[in-house]
Amino acid sequence: MSAQGKTQRGALSLLLLGPFLLAVLVPFLWMVLGMFKTNNEFFQPLAKAFFPANYEWQNVGELLEGKWVPFWDVFGNSLVVSLGQALGAVTLSATAGYAFARFTFSGKRLLFVLAVALILVPRQLFAVPLFSWVNELGLSDSLLGVMLPGVVTGLGVVYFTQVFRQVPEEYLQAARICGATELRVFLTVLPLVWPALLSYGMIHFILAWHEHLVPMLVLTTETKQTLPLALAKLYDVSQRTPQGVQMAASTFAVIPTAVLFALCHRKFKSSLSDMLVH
Amino acid sequence: MPAADQRTPGARWTPFFFLLPFLFFLLLFWVIPLVGGVQMSLHANGLGQAEYVGFAHYKALANDERYVTALRNSFVYTLASVVVIVPLALWLAHLLRATFRRLRPVLTFALLLPALTPPSVLAVLFLMVFHGRNGLLNQLFVMPLGFEPVNWLKDPDFILSGLVLQTVWRWTGFMTFFILAGMEGIPRVYYEAARLATGSRWRQFWHVTLPQLRPVLLFVAVYLVVDGFSLFSGAYVLLGGSGGTADAGLLTVTYVFLKTRFFDYGSASAISISLLPLMVLALLGCLFLRRRTA
Repeated sequence: MSAQGKTQRGALSLLLLGPFLLAVLVPFLWMVLGMFKTNNEFFQPLAKAFFPANYEWQNVGELLEGKWVPFWDVFGNSLVVSLGQALGAVTLSATAGYAFARFTFSGKRLLFVLAVALILVPRQLFAVPLFSWVNELGLSDSLLGVMLPGVVTGLGVVYFTQVFRQVPEEYLQAARICGATELRVFLTVLPLVWPALLSYGMIHFILAWHEHLVPMLVLTTETKQTLPLALAKLYDVSQRTPQGVQMAASTFAVIPTAVLFALCHRKFKSSLSDMLVH
Repeated sequence: MPAADQRTPGARWTPFFFLLPFLFFLLLFWVIPLVGGVQMSLHANGLGQAEYVGFAHYKALANDERYVTALRNSFVYTLASVVVIVPLALWLAHLLRATFRRLRPVLTFALLLPALTPPSVLAVLFLMVFHGRNGLLNQLFVMPLGFEPVNWLKDPDFILSGLVLQTVWRWTGFMTFFILAGMEGIPRVYYEAARLATGSRWRQFWHVTLPQLRPVLLFVAVYLVVDGFSLFSGAYVLLGGSGGTADAGLLTVTYVFLKTRFFDYGSASAISISLLPLMVLALLGCLFLRRRTA
């Protein structure tokens, strides 16, 4: 294709993408700008007040001071829970995936089907019995009670099975010839698949960051809750939280996952490209 | 699945050593709650030691109009989201590939921003767009054109479409990303071969891109179906934890939640368990498709 044709095609595609980009970005822009608005300004017709009259940091201040919800506690809890879940899920899924990909043993098929079944049954549906079981384990109202159930993931197991299948057998053999133990062999392979480890960790972090129902049932003390619960409380009409504070909290809730994704985006994509099609 | 090696390396228990942590947590936080759920569904409502009632909850569900509504809504919602998102994401991925290389990462990131946003935040942004008087849609389009503002989220005809639109807004960019990654993994030789055989871009798409993307599309569809049946946060914030006007937006998980609010744990579990056969069907479908792909 000629250079000119390519430019034309590129420009046309950009034009066609335009409306979708606007539909996605305008509400986010509004959210960020909303942080600086007074309630009065917020409810004015948009044409007049899309941008705030002046950029006041009062709403952000109120949020961070904890006037409406214990923001730092909640934010910290969310970070701890999501990081813990992501680490746990990567560990469990990588080891299980390695076993599925690299060994033959009786019952393998059945267990693998079980792992696939795990993907298909949404955890939210079993929130109630899970909640009462977590209570019996004595983990109610503790972050562990939210973190631990979240580390079992069928998606992760299936993903890592696929990942470890692509590691050339020679690597494993070489390590074994050198007299490495089986655990050592596994650890030698890990650096080869680190983009996959990172990618899955990221995805799981994002899912855990968004989790709402299970934390809502398990966590009752306000300072022990996670961000989605605090957000729901801020949004609740009966609380009369200023709109600006709501928008500030929403913006802060997006930042960690957005930054994480921006950082890992390239690795994630190439690890997917390598795998999806084969 | 190709067997990596016929001889199992190491001792016989080696694979189980690697599987053990997973199996342990699987038992602890999946199998036990599942069994607990079955048990709960066979006992009277309430906490603690409840009376055994057999299949009473299931029988009650069969006559429960709200249960049928919730099931139907979840089903329509899930199906609609797959049907809209998959073709749209394919098209967007195609556009992203055709556009300037340098802009591609930024544009992709912009499109998938909603997927990174907690669903409750999305619901609030969505509310601002669809709000009765102050919403963007009414202010920018409906009122300037001289119409009365429409109260979208109170309109039973619109609520479910509203929920679907929210999912489309949330997931399309993310799925576009997966499809794009899949497209970039297709070896160029395939396209060159196709170019020799036929000049038509459409045919290339049909005979090379689409078959090659089958695993990706399967993944995307499964993901959306599971997510469709587990949607909670979005609907919770959007409709205040209820089913909306005339239950038009009542989804299965919302109904489970509503039951637990009144401590009806028995029937809440019965609802969850009643969905298992559906999931098993979905599982068989997936395994069947996987085999055909392989």
